[in-house]
Amino acid sequence: MANGRQMYNVKLSRSGREFSCAADTTVLEGAKLAGFRLPSSCCQGMCSTCKSKLISGTVDMKANGGIVQREIDKGFILLCCSKPTSDLVIEK
Amino acid sequence: METKSDIKLRTLLDRRTPGHSLEQEFYTSDSVFQADLEFIFGRHWIYVGVEPDVSEPGDVMTIEIGTASILIIRDDNAQVRAFHNVCRHRGARLVDDAKTSVGNLVCRYHAWTYNLEGTLLFADHMTGDFDKSCRGLKPVHIRSVAGLLFICLSDTPPVDIDEMSEVITPYILPHDVVGCKVAHTSEIVEDGNWKLTMENNRECYHCTANHPELMNALFAFGFGYAPSEDNAEAADEARYREQVAVAKTTWNKAHLPSAEIEHLDDRPTGYRCERLIIDRHGESQTMDTHVASQKLLGTLTTPKLGGLSFWTQPNSWHHFMSDHIVTISAIPVGPEKTLVRTKWLVHKDAVEGVDYTVENLSAVWKATNHQDGDLVAMVQRGVRSPAYAPGPYSPFTEGLVEKFCSWYVARMSAELG
Repeated sequence: MANGRQMYNVKLSRSGREFSCAADTTVLEGAKLAGFRLPSSCCQGMCSTCKSKLISGTVDMKANGGIVQREIDKGFILLCCSKPTSDLVIEK
Repeated sequence: METKSDIKLRTLLDRRTPGHSLEQEFYTSDSVFQADLEFIFGRHWIYVGVEPDVSEPGDVMTIEIGTASILIIRDDNAQVRAFHNVCRHRGARLVDDAKTSVGNLVCRYHAWTYNLEGTLLFADHMTGDFDKSCRGLKPVHIRSVAGLLFICLSDTPPVDIDEMSEVITPYILPHDVVGCKVAHTSEIVEDGNWKLTMENNRECYHCTANHPELMNALFAFGFGYAPSEDNAEAADEARYREQVAVAKTTWNKAHLPSAEIEHLDDRPTGYRCERLIIDRHGESQTMDTHVASQKLLGTLTTPKLGGLSFWTQPNSWHHFMSDHIVTISAIPVGPEKTLVRTKWLVHKDAVEGVDYTVENLSAVWKATNHQDGDLVAMVQRGVRSPAYAPGPYSPFTEGLVEKFCSWYVARMSAELG
């Protein structure tokens, strides 16, 4: 908890970087606040530029056509419209 | 404006001798090849694949014809659509893969994002008078004929596809293409002009000497023959006639249309179909002529139904059996290169290793395609020679080759104007 907000730890497995992300903040926004810029474009869940593999943890995702069920089944998420619901490890 | 190569092409078309193979330039010249792409492949209905290629919403298949790349897509309402595979921003190719699945179509250059209906949804940093609604993907005409997909790159496609669709649908429907899955695909590039690939497909004069696997199942008699004075061959012919008579009764009882319909050279969308008997066990075009898949197609209940054959101008041939479908397209790649793409379809619920094996399913046509590729390359090497001159077709066994050539010459002449 930070300032009364639920915080989760997000680890980027390739770069080894870590940051805290609030439960009401998207992973993309959380990374930006921590000073990490990840590839993205529309920030509306459409363009899939931020599509990444979630290695562990769970998110609440509100995509807008930028990802198909088959990709979700394989563990992919859109960082721009996914809020953490646990600690996360993301392949980035 | 009429160019020098147009005048040369018109001369070549005008002086073609009916009943003979074409002059050398038709098989070797780059300017004729470019004209073929423009007038034949740019203005006629081209067979490109089957509905099961894009069975789920978001499934995408790309097809290359000349310099054009086309996206075949199943949209969210399960409708099949086709678009040019070109971003409306700065022209980047949108999809590189032969097959993929997407939520939206996204250009990886600047993330311009289109939905599956081709509408531009997102283009960052574009303001002012930029109108997204004017920048949708360019559509391509597409038609599903009983599950077989035909596209036309022209803005004004030949309207006679409606008539072909109406006639052929009752023949194909019992085999339920839409209820199939693509069990296997093969692509070979033949070292020959696409017209040699098609001419080779339109006769079985070469079959007995070159296709031992296919001839397990086919009667060459089904493709025309000179009445024989040879007693052994006359006996074969009598056996063929007898089996056809028996099969016709079975087909009629099962409400399977079987009569030959032939419109190969009297219209832009030329085609021919006929249900033919299969030799020996009579079931399928396999090495042992038994079915290759245990799950019969559609509502069919008996394995021994021979095979429905369907040929279209300019670039396809298909064989529909009780258990599987073999469907083949030829796409020109260069003046002396042609892509032959073969798909084997089985019932979508058939399980590999249980109901069928790919090896058994594909053995006959893999061998046949390989042999045909070798024959086409052999002819290409021959027609390049200064000694080559057009030779005569057999009126008995090469009538359909003649129809392919007369269709080609008529269509080229009409489109050249």
